[in-house]
Amino acid sequence: MVSDSITNASIHAAPNNNNNARDVGKKKRARSAKLKQCKLDVRREQWLSQGAVKNKDYKAEQNGVVEELKDRNNHRPFGNLGMRPGGGENDGSIHHHHHHDIDLDSNSPNSLTSSVLGSNYSETNFTGSSSSSSSSSGGCCSGNITEDDEGGGDDGCLDDWEAVADALAANEKPKNPCLESPPEHDPIAQSGSPQETTIGSDAPSFGVENSKPQCTRTIPKASGNGLAWRPDDAFRPQSLPNLAKQVSLPNSNRKHYGCGGVPWAYSGVVSAPSSCPICYEDLDFTDTSFLPCLCGFRLCLFCHKRILEEDSRCPGCRKPYEHEPVEAEASVHGGSLTFRLPRSCSLITRS
Amino acid sequence: MQASRARLFKEYKEVQREKVADPDIQLVCDDSNIFKWTALIKGPSETPFEGGVFQLAFAVPEQYPLQPPQVRFLTKIFHPNVHFKTGEICLDILKNAWSPAWTLQSVCRAIIALMAHPEPDSPLNCDSGNLLRSGDLRGYYSMARMYTKLAAMPKKG
Repeated sequence: MVSDSITNASIHAAPNNNNNARDVGKKKRARSAKLKQCKLDVRREQWLSQGAVKNKDYKAEQNGVVEELKDRNNHRPFGNLGMRPGGGENDGSIHHHHHHDIDLDSNSPNSLTSSVLGSNYSETNFTGSSSSSSSSSGGCCSGNITEDDEGGGDDGCLDDWEAVADALAANEKPKNPCLESPPEHDPIAQSGSPQETTIGSDAPSFGVENSKPQCTRTIPKASGNGLAWRPDDAFRPQSLPNLAKQVSLPNSNRKHYGCGGVPWAYSGVVSAPSSCPICYEDLDFTDTSFLPCLCGFRLCLFCHKRILEEDSRCPGCRKPYEHEPVEAEASVHGGSLTFRLPRSCSLITRS
Repeated sequence: MQASRARLFKEYKEVQREKVADPDIQLVCDDSNIFKWTALIKGPSETPFEGGVFQLAFAVPEQYPLQPPQVRFLTKIFHPNVHFKTGEICLDILKNAWSPAWTLQSVCRAIIALMAHPEPDSPLNCDSGNLLRSGDLRGYYSMARMYTKLAAMPKKG
C-alpha cells in the first residue's frame, strides 16, 4: 500500500516540483539519494504504469480546466491522496506541503519517489512541490510525469533527480500554482484510500513523490492551484486530515501535517513510562497501550487487576475506576499507539 | 506477598541510589525483614522541630502497595497529629487517601510536611491541638521545642 501510494504521490508531486526541486533538491538529494535510488526503481515501475493512466486523465482534466480538477479533488476523499495515481496530482499538491515539513524526516522516501517518477525532475521538484503544495495540478503533472518517466526515468534518474530536487526546493513555492491533476485522475488514485495508513508512514513519502514531476508543467495552471491547495482543506484534507486525526491535532493545515509527521513518530514513543509505578516492573507493549483512567496514570494490567479487586481507585487521581469508560479510553489510546508504532516502524524501515 | 516484596526491593534499590538526593530522609531496611523499615527524618526548618532528628518505624503490610504502610514515631514529639505516647500518626495518606503510587520515601516527605503544617482540628494530641486552636502559638512552640530538645536532639557533652 505504502509504496504504491508513495509512488503515486511522488508522481503527482514531481511535475509540480520539478523546476523548483532542481534548485533546492540538490541538498536533499545527498540525504535521500541512497534510499531514493532503491525506492525509485520500484516506484518508477509503479509510476509508469500509473502515469500512462494519469496522462490520459491528465489531458482530459486539462481540458476541463483547473476548476474541474479542484472539484474532483474535493470530491475525492483525501485519504486517497497518496495512494491513487490519478488523484495523486491533486493529492500530490497536498502532499507536497506535507512533505516539506516531513521532508526533513523522510527525505529519503520523497527523493526516491520523485526520482522514480520524473527521475531528474522529480528530485528537484520535491522541495518545490512540498513548499508550493499547490503545484499538484493533475493534468499538467500527469503529462510531465509520463514524459519524464520515459526520457528521464531511463537515464540516471537518481542523479538528475537529486539535482532536480535541489532546484525544486528553491522553486517549490512558485510551482505550487501548478494545477492539480484532473479530477479524473484523482478518482483513480482514490482507489487506494488509506488515509490513516498513509498518514503515519506514507505521508512523508507521498509528499516527496508528488512534488517531483508534475510541478513544472502544471506550474502555469498553478496560480489557481496554489489557492486551491491552501484552501486545500478539501483537496489536501485527505492526507492532512489523516495526519491530524492521528496526531489528534485539530489543525488540518499543511504545516501541521509536516510538523506533526515528525513529532508523531517521536511522540508515540514518549508518553508512556517504562515501568509500572506500582510494582516497578517494566511495562510491555500491552501495558503501554493500556490507559485505564482519564487522568493518564498508567500502570500494568496486573496491578490494575489487583486494584480493581481492592478499592478500585486510580492511584493517580484516587477516583474510582470506571470500567466501561476505561475500556473505551484504552481502545482510543491503543489506536493512537498503534498509529505511532507503525510510523516509527516505517521510519526504521526507510532508514 | 511476592508483589509487595518485589516492590520493596525496588524501593530499597531506589533509596540506595538516591541516598544523597534527599538529605532530610534516611530510610533503612531491617536486615532480616524487608517489611520492617526505619526512617530518620530531620525536623523542618522554621518549626519547633528544627535541629531534631526523628525516628520513624514502618510496618509494611503484605498487601503493600495496595495497602498503606503503618508508620509511627519512635521519637517523642509534641505535635497535634501524633499520639504522644504511641507515636501514631494521623495522616490522611496513611489512611483512606493512600495511593499505591506512593512510596516509603514519599511517605517520609509527607510526614515532614505534616510536621511543618499541623492540623489541629483532627488531633491525636489534644493538648497540642488545643494550644493551636486557642491561638497560643507561643505555648505550642515552647512545648514542641522543649520535647524536640529533650528527645530529638543529641545531648551535648
